[in-house]
This record gives sequence, C-alpha cells and structure tokens, in this order.
Amino acid sequence: MSDTDLLDRLLTGEQKAYRELVARYQGAMRAVAYAIVGSRHADEVVQDAWLAVVRSLAGFQGRSSLKTWLLTITANTAKTRLKHNRREVLLDDLAAPHGMVGDERFADDGHWLLAPHAWHQDSPEALLTEDELRDCLEHTLASLSELQASVLVLRERQGLELEAICNLLDISLSNARVLLHRARLKVFATLEHFEETGQC
Amino acid sequence: MLTCKELVAHSSDYLDGQLTLRQRLAVRAHLAMCGNCRRFIRQMKLTQAVIRQMPEDELPELDALAERLAQDRRNQG
Repeated sequence: MSDTDLLDRLLTGEQKAYRELVARYQGAMRAVAYAIVGSRHADEVVQDAWLAVVRSLAGFQGRSSLKTWLLTITANTAKTRLKHNRREVLLDDLAAPHGMVGDERFADDGHWLLAPHAWHQDSPEALLTEDELRDCLEHTLASLSELQASVLVLRERQGLELEAICNLLDISLSNARVLLHRARLKVFATLEHFEETGQC
Repeated sequence: MLTCKELVAHSSDYLDGQLTLRQRLAVRAHLAMCGNCRRFIRQMKLTQAVIRQMPEDELPELDALAERLAQDRRNQG
C-alpha cells in the first residue's frame, strides 16, 4: 500500500491502518530513539513520538516520505527529551565477543596472514537456520554501543542512506562510516568464528 | 597497489558506494588479483544479508497501541 493510501485511512482513524503503520515503522523509530537517548528511555520516546505523529498527521504535506517524516519526529522527540544532556558520540569501540578482523590477521607487508576460510553455508537463510548461531549473533549485536547498533540497524535492516542516518542522529558522515564498518566487522567475526568452530 | 589490509579497511565504504572513483578502481584492481580478498568481500556481503534477515523483535503491544492511536485520531475529529 502506498503512503498516500495509508495516510487517507489513518486520517479516518481506522485501527487496521494504525496497526500497519506501527508494524512497518516502529523498528526504525526504535533504532533512532535508541541511538539518541539510549535503551532506558527509548520506548518512552517512541510512545511520545507516536502521539506527536497522530497530532500532526493532518499537517503531513508529503514533501518527504512517510518514513522520513516519522523518523524525523522520533529524532526530534528524542532530542527534546535529551535537552542539554547530549551524550558524547561514542566512537571508542566496546569489545565484541569475536573481535573484528584486527591487525593480527595481516603480515607486516599488509597481506593476509590468516586469510578468511570458505564458509559451509553461503546463504543467509542457511546460516540463520542454526539456533545457536542466531543466539550468538544476538549476543554480538547486544555488545555494540547503542549508537553503533542503531547505525547498523538503520543501514542494513531499514535500508536508510548514510546521509539520512547522519541527519537523524546528528553525527558526521565520517563517524557514521566508522561506526558502521566496525559493527559489520564484529558481526563478520562472529559468523567466521562460528563457521570455523561450530560454536559461539 | 592496495594491500589486503587496506582493502579490508575500505570494504564498507566500497559496499556503500562511498569511495572516490580512483579508490574504487584500486579496490577492483586488487580484487581482480586476490582470491582471499574476493572471498572476504563475498563474506561481508553475506554478513550484510544475515543482519538484514535476522528476525526482528516481536511487538507484543501492537494491537493495543494501534487501538489507542486510532482512538486518539478519532477524538481529534
């Protein structure tokens, strides 16, 4: 269903339309809130953002996509909540369970010392059939900082462009690139470890 | 010539289309010569696909929230 069709139904107060709206966008909204206010207040911010969305719905002009509009409201709600207590952008990496393809993998001349091995599975579906690996990946994602986890989710799961992520979260493009790259390497390292050892 | 270590450092920017033309050509030239790095990039793409397809948390309060928002909207007239 297009944004316009959905919007018409939302304006009439149709419950099914709200169900669809929440199911479609709450994950992305939560990731934005999580990045800005942290896990403790993310759910409250999302709730407040939904109320603001309903209040402003009639004024939605369609200049941006519905998703961009919802995420902007969420980011603004989160920033208001935060007021002057803006947290430092955490670029320092927290340790991940399986590291992140560090210097020890390379010889002094920059060539691979420990090159990647072939993996047993070559599709995401096949990899994700293993319950233990799913748990292991959850563990790795939980080890990321709130900001880093959100950048990863917004880029990979929600398909946002890097520039959109930077605007929502008030971070520079270079910060976003570093956060995303290190997050991916951590997940990569977990997959690689599991493929080599069969264990988490 | 790019080293394998440099290729790994540029890999996300390569996948996100954030490299300059010159850097992109350097990455492609390296990949044409280096099977280990071709495998690494393949596995990074698979890593992205795995993250994309990991099941999301359920939203237990979905119906209650939808009901409340719809009601709020109707109350506004």
